[in-house]
Amino acid sequence: MSDHDTTATDTLLKLAQQAVEMARAAGANDAWATAVQDRSLSYAFRDGKPETVSDSTKRGLELKLYVDGRYGVYSTTDLREARLRDFIREAVPLTRQLQADPRRRITPPELFPTAPAEGLQLVDPRVAGLTREQRLAWCRELEAGVRGEPTLISTICSIEDGRKLVADASSNGFSGAYGKTSVGFFQQVSLRDAGPGEREVGSERRAEGEDGAACLHLDDLPSTARIGEQTLARARARLGSRQGPTMKGTLVVEPRAAMRLVSDLLAPAKAGNVSQGQSFWPKLMETQAFSGKLTIIDDPRRPRGLESHPYDREGIAARRLTLIERGVPKAVYADTYYAAKTGLPVTTGDPSNQIVQPGERALAEIIRAVGDGVLVTAWAGGNADPTTGEFSQGLNGHIIRGGEIAEPVVGMIVTGNLKTLFASLVEVGNDPFPYFALRTPTLVFENVQFSGA
Amino acid sequence: MNRRHFLATGTAGLASLTLPTFLRAQPQATDLTAPAPANPFLDWFSIDEAAIRRVMTELTANGADFAELYFQHKRTNLIRMQDGLASQATSDIAQGVGLRVVVGDQTGFAFTEDLTPESMLQAARTAATIASGGRATLPAHFDPRRQGDLYPIKRPWSEVGLDEKLPLIQKVESRLRAADPAIDKVTVQLTDTDERVLIATLDGRLLTDRRPSALLGLMVTAKRGDQTQSNMVSLGARDGIGFFTDARLKAQVDEVVARTLVLFDARRPPAGEMPVVLAAGASSVLLHEAIGHGMEADFNRNGTSIYSDMIGKPVAAPFVTVVDQGNLPHELGTLNMDDEGNATGRAVLVDKGILKSYLHDNISARHYGLREHVGSGRRESYRYPIMARMTTTFMENGPHSRDEIVASIQHGIIAETFTGGQVAIGPGDFTFYVKNGWLVENGKITAPIKDVNLIGNGPEVLKRITMVADDFKLDPGGWVCGKNGQSVPVSIGMPSALVSRMTVGGENV
Repeated sequence: MSDHDTTATDTLLKLAQQAVEMARAAGANDAWATAVQDRSLSYAFRDGKPETVSDSTKRGLELKLYVDGRYGVYSTTDLREARLRDFIREAVPLTRQLQADPRRRITPPELFPTAPAEGLQLVDPRVAGLTREQRLAWCRELEAGVRGEPTLISTICSIEDGRKLVADASSNGFSGAYGKTSVGFFQQVSLRDAGPGEREVGSERRAEGEDGAACLHLDDLPSTARIGEQTLARARARLGSRQGPTMKGTLVVEPRAAMRLVSDLLAPAKAGNVSQGQSFWPKLMETQAFSGKLTIIDDPRRPRGLESHPYDREGIAARRLTLIERGVPKAVYADTYYAAKTGLPVTTGDPSNQIVQPGERALAEIIRAVGDGVLVTAWAGGNADPTTGEFSQGLNGHIIRGGEIAEPVVGMIVTGNLKTLFASLVEVGNDPFPYFALRTPTLVFENVQFSGA
Repeated sequence: MNRRHFLATGTAGLASLTLPTFLRAQPQATDLTAPAPANPFLDWFSIDEAAIRRVMTELTANGADFAELYFQHKRTNLIRMQDGLASQATSDIAQGVGLRVVVGDQTGFAFTEDLTPESMLQAARTAATIASGGRATLPAHFDPRRQGDLYPIKRPWSEVGLDEKLPLIQKVESRLRAADPAIDKVTVQLTDTDERVLIATLDGRLLTDRRPSALLGLMVTAKRGDQTQSNMVSLGARDGIGFFTDARLKAQVDEVVARTLVLFDARRPPAGEMPVVLAAGASSVLLHEAIGHGMEADFNRNGTSIYSDMIGKPVAAPFVTVVDQGNLPHELGTLNMDDEGNATGRAVLVDKGILKSYLHDNISARHYGLREHVGSGRRESYRYPIMARMTTTFMENGPHSRDEIVASIQHGIIAETFTGGQVAIGPGDFTFYVKNGWLVENGKITAPIKDVNLIGNGPEVLKRITMVADDFKLDPGGWVCGKNGQSVPVSIGMPSALVSRMTVGGENV
């Protein structure tokens, strides 16, 4: 952290402490304040020239008030001292008008971190030193990766980087702060599709591809050349897409698309959902509910992890949490309030880096072994019901035929129940996409229902 | 495409519509010409014309075709009743200024939440780096303007206390609990906003708007034997607490209970292509995805929308007219002026089957050489740049009846309630997710269905609309439209209509 960031962090921490004091003075029994400052810059290039430069500076304060057994959350970006004091003076009596809830209590100190977080590597000092010239050079390199493509309609590429500082203080002794940097490349390309499509659109057809990467450290970014190649390759792969058939068969989901399915599976793994009966997880806990090939952990202490943090938004010390172990659901996300309501142990209310344990083989080997099926490269929209697990998702991808990736398909839907889908997981690849907080490799499911033509 | 959007979806070029009013009067024309008597908003933001002039000078120091300062103060309050306790409340104030300068197709943008002159000037300098020309000419004066009055309310939400909000949600909660013995869990949530906007433009306009909104959400979980089902509804408007009349509340309670209990008997339809009846009201999710996003001009001026080369061409049957209208009184999608200070109004996207007009912001209007345009430039807040967006999107009545449509189907479904939709704007491929619906066999409604995704391509599906009924309805729900990482409230509506063939994500047993 630079001297500038150290000074800014001290200022934020003082602001949080000052807000807690104001709340106590206004009559709150307890208070928890979180102050945040976030600066980011982005440059976007379209078709070889700058399209947008954007500079964002956020700063704000969130205050949780505990007043006579009542609880309210107040946040503001208006940090002028007089306005802030008025805001808090108004918030305390407002909180008092709510109904009392004995389960709502400030985080007990025994859940606080007991030692400074070491080794998280959340800050890369070099990000702060990035120049306008460097950002623009990267944009040009990305754009050069698709230049010359004869079917190109348009391409946009962008660079975004930022620094965020967080400081927390509470009336029962919590005091903490941390910073985090981020940097990312993103690119999208649109191509004219004159392939052998059979659709009645009455317009020139288009194929799109995109790629990107987000990291905390500059060293972890892939090369601009690789992003450009991937973007173009993904768009070209969509050329000539046509609607696939209605069928039952094997579903292979490449890593960046598998994220959606895992995210839907984990969405009801929250004590808040359990409390409201909106989760299929409780009946499955400690049973062999899913395939033995599925292990998922949440690791907020992963070095350089996109969602790593030393403590969560309640001040609970970050620790590794096993959600599913060899197909057996072991734990759910539970903050102090919903843990008290459900009787579940307190873990954390904040998902961080969710990691599906990888298997042995890469996508190409898996495709050869599968023989016939459907490869999903992106989802086209859909939904999953956290109460029942019923889901239905549109897909973009390819037919797999004879162990090879064959024609591209659109207009297909996968439908089923997440419980039975993850029970039918037959293989996990060794190829997680490293640029999402949710890291999952290729997933393979059997006997899946596809809707199409 | 940006980092936030990429991390959220893993893909780009997508737009979505999700769940988190009724036509009560004829639309009023907005009026941007009458002078306002005073401008109390300057005091609210602790600024004056001299400060605006200094920041605008810095912002346009390297040239500008147009530029604006967008001051916003938004207070959002939420109160939630769960498990019989109204014990959760939040209140948020977001205040800041977004600065934008446009030169050609290039945009410089910055925002700050520190409204001191130093901070605003620093932000203006960064935004100004997009340009490299000479200093722009500033107006002699910034003239205050008054605009329409599309969402008058008796009292702003800032004057409505918990003593009035609590009885409202308690009444809804107790009615839900009493509605059926199967009701197990109930959550009722009321969100209100009071938003002040002040826009200073390079052409010398000083525009203000005060935008109220309210959204009531009802979420229910029911148990029958070992089965559990849940569902939700929402009711929203740019209106005050008086909007939540007893009749409206009762209708929502009845609706969410019926939608939830029917799920116990519902099943999935067979998989594959079949006729789909879009029920009147929220089925306009399809219009929003299939045509609305593709008609937003930003994707067309870049040539990346599937509709880029189709203006003036027939895209649907002659009885299909699709409109986006930003000046329907009290609708969540309504604005007295858009976020560039332009008058909102009626934009006809499809006129009797012919593709008519895109939705424009200032950049695209200039790109297409339009002398005037319906204001469709919107932003989530001062933290985001402006884009062309929808407001209230709907299809007008057609010549058929709902009964005729249902009777015409041998084997198909009726899509009735939805959790949302998504579209890839370039290729035009879209989905929308049906939460409740009905199976139709031999011209009769035979069984409830649930949880199916429908998929199609915008222009293809428009061509396959073969019947449109005369039972137009605007959906009362609070819909949120997402595009490039920005969310804005919108409204949707349509009459019943038949799509002759769509792919339904069912299950073949």
